[in-house]
Amino acid sequence: MIATNVRRLALYLMLSFFLVSGSLTWWQVVQARSLATRPDNPEVIAARRALLRGTIFDATGQPLATSSLVDGLSLRAYADPAFTHVIGYSSHRFGATGLESAFEDLLVGRADTNPIRDWIGDVLARQPQPRDLSLTIDRRLQDFAAAQLGPDAGAIVALDPMTGAVLAMVSSPTFDANPLAGDPADAQAPMDALRNDPGDPLLPRARHGVYVPGSILKVFTGAAALDAGVITPTTTFPDQPRQEIEGMLVDGFLITEHDLGGITPQLWSLSEALQVSSNIFFAHVGLALGQDEFLSYARRFGFCAPGIIGPADRALSFASSLVTEAVAGDCGSFSDNAELASAAFGQGATLVTPVQMALVAATIAGGGVMPAPFVVRDVREHAADHVRSDTVLETFNSGGGRRIVSSDVASAMRSGMLDAVNGELGRLFAGQADITLYGITDARSAGKTGTAQLGGDRPPHSWFIGFAPAQEGGTPAIAIAVIVESGGSGAGRAAPIAGRIMAEWIRISR
Amino acid sequence: MGIAWRGAELRLLVPILLVAPLGFIVTNIALTGTLAAGPLGLALGYGVVILVVHVVLVLARHRGDQLLLPAAWVTGAIGLVALNRLPQDLAGTSALGFDLGMAATQLLWFGIGAVAMLVIAIGLRDDGLLRHYKYSWAAIGIGLLLATMLFGYEVNGARLWINLGPVGFQPGELLKIVLVIFIAGYLAETRTVLASARMRIGFLSIPPLPYLLPMLALFGIVMLVVVRLNDLGTALLFFGTFLTMLFVATGRRSYVLIGLILFVAGSFVAYELFDHVAARIDVWLDPFADPLGAGYQQVRALYALGRGGLFGQGLGQGLVTLGGSTTIPYVHTDFIFTAIAEELGLIGSLALLAFVAVIVFRGLRIAALARDDFSALLATGLTVSLGLQALIIVGGNTKLFPLTGITLPFVSYGGSSILVSFIMLGLLLSISHRSVVEEGAPS
Repeated sequence: MIATNVRRLALYLMLSFFLVSGSLTWWQVVQARSLATRPDNPEVIAARRALLRGTIFDATGQPLATSSLVDGLSLRAYADPAFTHVIGYSSHRFGATGLESAFEDLLVGRADTNPIRDWIGDVLARQPQPRDLSLTIDRRLQDFAAAQLGPDAGAIVALDPMTGAVLAMVSSPTFDANPLAGDPADAQAPMDALRNDPGDPLLPRARHGVYVPGSILKVFTGAAALDAGVITPTTTFPDQPRQEIEGMLVDGFLITEHDLGGITPQLWSLSEALQVSSNIFFAHVGLALGQDEFLSYARRFGFCAPGIIGPADRALSFASSLVTEAVAGDCGSFSDNAELASAAFGQGATLVTPVQMALVAATIAGGGVMPAPFVVRDVREHAADHVRSDTVLETFNSGGGRRIVSSDVASAMRSGMLDAVNGELGRLFAGQADITLYGITDARSAGKTGTAQLGGDRPPHSWFIGFAPAQEGGTPAIAIAVIVESGGSGAGRAAPIAGRIMAEWIRISR
Repeated sequence: MGIAWRGAELRLLVPILLVAPLGFIVTNIALTGTLAAGPLGLALGYGVVILVVHVVLVLARHRGDQLLLPAAWVTGAIGLVALNRLPQDLAGTSALGFDLGMAATQLLWFGIGAVAMLVIAIGLRDDGLLRHYKYSWAAIGIGLLLATMLFGYEVNGARLWINLGPVGFQPGELLKIVLVIFIAGYLAETRTVLASARMRIGFLSIPPLPYLLPMLALFGIVMLVVVRLNDLGTALLFFGTFLTMLFVATGRRSYVLIGLILFVAGSFVAYELFDHVAARIDVWLDPFADPLGAGYQQVRALYALGRGGLFGQGLGQGLVTLGGSTTIPYVHTDFIFTAIAEELGLIGSLALLAFVAVIVFRGLRIAALARDDFSALLATGLTVSLGLQALIIVGGNTKLFPLTGITLPFVSYGGSSILVSFIMLGLLLSISHRSVVEEGAPS
């Protein structure tokens, strides 16, 4: 009897040994490569000290990040602080961030674009071949955009609405990454200074800065309501003109209009409501849409889950949330209709990131299709002297768009946003985003300002999202989101910045 | 009976005696480019221990299992080569004016362990001493634990050590044997009653309480003390050994099931109650969340496994050092398996695991052939204790289980561990010998 039980035990123990053997095989063979390329691997850190990294170029072949060997130590140099929050840094002391981290294995040549070459390289124990990257960002536009913000805190994200290629991505304040990438012995003090800086220069605001959106969210609310069929471009709300003055009572909470600058309230439809940025109108739209539809469209717009800037397998992440008390992986919910109505015009419990809002603008510009954003154009062979090689190993394209709303809805919103910049009423608020002011006379820009109230004595955030060319028959070349933290009204600060950048890009791309 | 030549054992010892010195030589040349006398001395010493043990057993006409020792010796040889390859100042002793490095100290313990093993394997002609005084053994065990609680000192957060003159000793190691003896004695007496359980709760049958209580009580005390001493690995080992012996004694899977349910429930309570348990579980689930802090040990172990790959870096050619120390923590004790896996690759690590498996399956064979219930249960308990210990630490190194700090038998550096493992081998050999001599079982 005991002998029988011992035999059964032997079987179970044998299974346990097999299980442990399987676990060993998993780490020693299956996971070996991914372990060997993790940036926090001490061997990688040690080996990196001597490894030449590939050069990172802008879209036109200007070198932005270069490596050189000094006494056997590989040192990274960065040409332009405006790119720090895109490229990140590669430090012997602090590891890698941004694209330096996402493309670590390719840059140092520990992986190749072609898995078969990878395998052959392993077998032949080949020396790592660094690879170079080209960004989708044109340094001229990036520097121009960074100069518009100057020392002010804020962020700018510009995309090609048709392909999703990132044209500019500025986070301000930025910092010079060279001290971190240089001699590891001298890197601690500059890092401490950055960490203790109250301006938080280490935060990549374009991707991870979360802000109250203010009125720019009306673009989302309008598009969602049109697409759901609860309003049309001519829908009006009879109580709205009276409530512009008296306020609108929702669940015991009084919603009031912002300062209309002397404009007499009338019965407004979508276009006028966008032009004067009527909170009351969009509160009605939000209530008509209802919480469930509102949140369902929020999910469709990608508001409720973190996103990525591609290419997909070596991506930069961006944060995304709509309702402040978000539950993990979703938008959460509004506790009452007052919260829903406030969210519908971008106040209350809502938070967004600049990348997200640039994607909303790109969706309207792209006829209702949201492009998948990407920031690295191609991988090339490494060439000496920081010159871009002509041998392209892999090209990244748009990851494909996602239809969010119908093209009719996008067309109606485009028309409303065009009016918001160029219309008789809209000009009073967002006229500074008109690209004809900045020398582009044969095209028009569209957009929406936002003045995000923060409560207390803090000045509001100044927002603008928009795109150009936006006139009937024009093909949009740039969609943009601009935020200046505590920059005052959207009209005063963000709108002219966006107008200048859109005009500059049209000029450059001609 | 005539003389037993132990020919099978001798044939298996020959390749070990030939290959083990090669391991020391290759490592030494790879590391220093020259061949020093020290490693050759270790190889020679180890060979002498192996041969002396063999000759003594032959002279004593010992008919115990012939595969057990070769498997243990080859496991030990791999461990000794690995220890000799590591920086020798990680551990060591100085006695009688000699400064012994880590590997030399380990070899010394192999010698002491071999003597202890021979004394037990040859001297223990009758198991009455073990069988009839089981409560005394239990008392000794509890005494050991209490002594550790009162007089022990902490190493790495676990209070496991007692100072005995010049050497530190881990009573928990000895407790393994004492506990197995007690449980074997108790189960041998009560197994018929336990196996014919009548009480049922739902689909689970429960053993009669009067027979189970003394054992559960003792076990509860032990577990409590071990948890109190913050030694989770040993707690897991004791519990697993106990459940396995209960299963072998009664043949009831439901007891194991109840035990596992209790264990999971207990772990959950511990997770909620004790921060250090919760922290360990979190690290286990995602060590990469904090690779330089809480996840440090696990992450470094996984990196070493990954570096090893299929064929390994080669003896003496792995183990990257940063700032003069290896990147694997506790590389000579808890993580020696990962160091071996790095230099010998998956092929080497699986081979090492296979040698441990040979020890385990020979031990179980001894249990299956044993002449009485007590011997069978004792052999099962000792074997499972060795086997589970290896599975727990290797499983912990590979993130299969939460990482716990216990040694790999015959491989990790540590006198208590080596000595106790050899005592276990001695007991197994003695059981095996008696079953061959008295029952005519195949040797």
